[in-house]
Amino acid sequence: MSQPPEEESARPLRDVDLRAAERGVWLVKVPKYLSEKWKRASGKGEVGKLKIISTKIPGAQPEVTFSMNEAQAQVQVPGRGTATPKEHKFKLTGVGNQNLVVFSENKGEGTTAAEITERIAIEGKVIQRAECQPVVDKSYMQLKKRHVEDSNKPKREIKQITGVVTTYKPVSNHAANIEHEKKIKEGGKRIRDERDVVTNKLFEIFEKHQYYNIQDLVRLTNQPVTYLKEILQDLCIYNMKAPHRNMYELKPEYRHYKEQK
Amino acid sequence: MATNVQQVAVSKPGASSGSQGNASEYVVRVPNDPLKKYSMIKFASGTDIDFLKLSHGKVKMERENNLRQYKTIYNLDAMPKFGAGSEYGREQKEEARRKKYGINIKKYNPNDQPWLMKVGDGKDCKRYKGVREGTISENTSYYIFTKCADGAFEAFPIEEWYNFQPVVKYKYLNSEEAEEEFSRRDKTMNLFSIMVRKRIKNEEETEEKPEDKKDKKKDKKSLILTDMEDWMETEDEEEEEEEAEEGAEKKPKKEKKEEKTKRRKNAKINADDEAVEESDEGDFDDRELDYISDSGSESSLDEKAKNDKYDDQGVDQEKGLKKLIDSEEESSEEENKEEDEEDEEEEAEKEAQSKKEKKKKKDSKENNKEAGGESDSSSSSSDSDDSDIDKNEDKFSSVLFMQEKKRSSRPNTPTVEKLEIKTEPKSEGGIKRKIEAEEGGAEKKVRTESPAPSLKTSASSSSISSSGEITEEAIRHYLTRRPMTAKELVQKFKAKKSQMSNEQLTQKIGQLLKKINPGRKYIKGVMYLSLEKTE
Repeated sequence: MSQPPEEESARPLRDVDLRAAERGVWLVKVPKYLSEKWKRASGKGEVGKLKIISTKIPGAQPEVTFSMNEAQAQVQVPGRGTATPKEHKFKLTGVGNQNLVVFSENKGEGTTAAEITERIAIEGKVIQRAECQPVVDKSYMQLKKRHVEDSNKPKREIKQITGVVTTYKPVSNHAANIEHEKKIKEGGKRIRDERDVVTNKLFEIFEKHQYYNIQDLVRLTNQPVTYLKEILQDLCIYNMKAPHRNMYELKPEYRHYKEQK
Repeated sequence: MATNVQQVAVSKPGASSGSQGNASEYVVRVPNDPLKKYSMIKFASGTDIDFLKLSHGKVKMERENNLRQYKTIYNLDAMPKFGAGSEYGREQKEEARRKKYGINIKKYNPNDQPWLMKVGDGKDCKRYKGVREGTISENTSYYIFTKCADGAFEAFPIEEWYNFQPVVKYKYLNSEEAEEEFSRRDKTMNLFSIMVRKRIKNEEETEEKPEDKKDKKKDKKSLILTDMEDWMETEDEEEEEEEAEEGAEKKPKKEKKEEKTKRRKNAKINADDEAVEESDEGDFDDRELDYISDSGSESSLDEKAKNDKYDDQGVDQEKGLKKLIDSEEESSEEENKEEDEEDEEEEAEKEAQSKKEKKKKKDSKENNKEAGGESDSSSSSSDSDDSDIDKNEDKFSSVLFMQEKKRSSRPNTPTVEKLEIKTEPKSEGGIKRKIEAEEGGAEKKVRTESPAPSLKTSASSSSISSSGEITEEAIRHYLTRRPMTAKELVQKFKAKKSQMSNEQLTQKIGQLLKKINPGRKYIKGVMYLSLEKTE
């Protein structure tokens, strides 16, 4: 949509960067409150530590725990309290037979003003799925309580107003009308130009579009209506049937429109 | 347990021993790069793609551009925006109208359009289309944890999910066709024929060339027990046609066409039969013996008779009924046949004199319209198209014939009369007569009531005007009939006397008019000349 004349044709396919295609990545489902905090990470973006304990028992999944930094934990999320649990466990699950691939779009700074340069790159393949679940403690309970309260509040509220609303008052003459009348008074009546001049002007006008309304023509040519109508009777035909009802168009002998491609 | 974990968390990064096993710690980073946007590709289950194998191959992706479809759906581009055919201020008007009525069109967002992916290159490529999946829930977000070179984890949020499916280029049956074929699945042996049939149907519909009929005809099995036999037959025919096709091109196509249409018909019939059977809850009519029909109860029939029973013969065609029905229809059929013959003859005549036909048709229409209102036949003749006064003469003959015809008790007379009248000597007048005859048919009664006076007047008037001279008599005659403008008078004579120029005509008419001095009426601002009727 940033291109002024919108393209309708199919765009050519862009090359995809496959350098990181062999990477294995984890897909982790993270609760909302946690992700909101993470979004507000400052500096390098360190949010916490991930601890992986691989068990010696064969066949069992390793334990993964995520613990948040102190600093990070204090980050204020507007609308919510800071009380978030610090410990989260990752519940690991397999990918199943789904084929999940991650790709990224890199919006360039705009080398040329008209084009959005985007580099598409494959970031990796999902090898492990995990769910980030909080270790339940008091703070978590409080958080959830608040959450439930918030969501149960109705989104629209009825408030009683104390004063008088003064937006609409009955007025003898509205501002817009006053302006309009003033404009007409000052603008004065339209003056008739020479016939040739008006005719030339009309030809110019009709080059841009084929059908015109009488009011539009009056406005564009700045001629009085009756005079203009006279001239139009010579030059134009008046369409009475749809699709261009009540519109003037040049007579065939006067027009030479090129065929639209 | 919890305390254990806490202690471990506090300790320095690195491997530390625990009762369960090796523990390692990693720092988690969530970089916040506003420019990079991550999305997930979910391939349909069973799709065979592995980017690892293709890492040296090419992969290309791009958004689909559906702007054109979007515009056609909402008719945004129906009219040109400038130049020929465009209106001034059209766009604004449309927008204002939409706002007024509160019509909200969803804006076209190119970032919501599906992705097109192409894997591999050249002919060997595989194409996929990825449609966005909605409902990324409000309470969860997905992050991708990747391990970095420095041993830390980086987490990126995934913003969009796309479901990628391979793009099919082969043709498939739509749901209706699939239902049909499914119902026949026990009977079809050759599954290839299904798609072949479909393809041929399409060709048929687009085919427009007329083709010669094939000479050879196939002996079709008259009894078709199951669809199998039907398909087998037509398959055999197809194969034969394909062999012969190398030689003759047109003929087999036509034959195929016939076959297909027949098959189609059969298919329809079959479908109907099946439907009927299913819904028939047991009127038990088939158990009744229809006296006239030949079909009896099933048990008494042997194999052949049973087969014959399934033969497609309507009840009315069965021997018993046929006679009855036929005898009734005989009389009416004969009549229709005769009329048809006459029509053909009449048409042949018409073609011979095709030039005048159009004019005549116009005449006849006018005649028929006015004929209903007029009771005087002679006046009606003058109301009829003005240029042909010869008709009056012929009317004389037509009226005579009509009197004769009256005796035959035929309800539809016009066509018959035309036949009879064509024997008249004047060939030119033939078609005119037909018109008269049509008109005559409409008001035959009136005419036969008063044939005598009409004959007289028509005879006299015809003799005057048929000569074609511009005489005072002729003008008088016209003006008596009805008031006319001077122009009409001129027109009348123009046809007669095409040799004279307009000026001469008008001069002459003017002179004569002065002599006659007709009365002048003004109707709607036009001056009409008329003469009072003198009897």
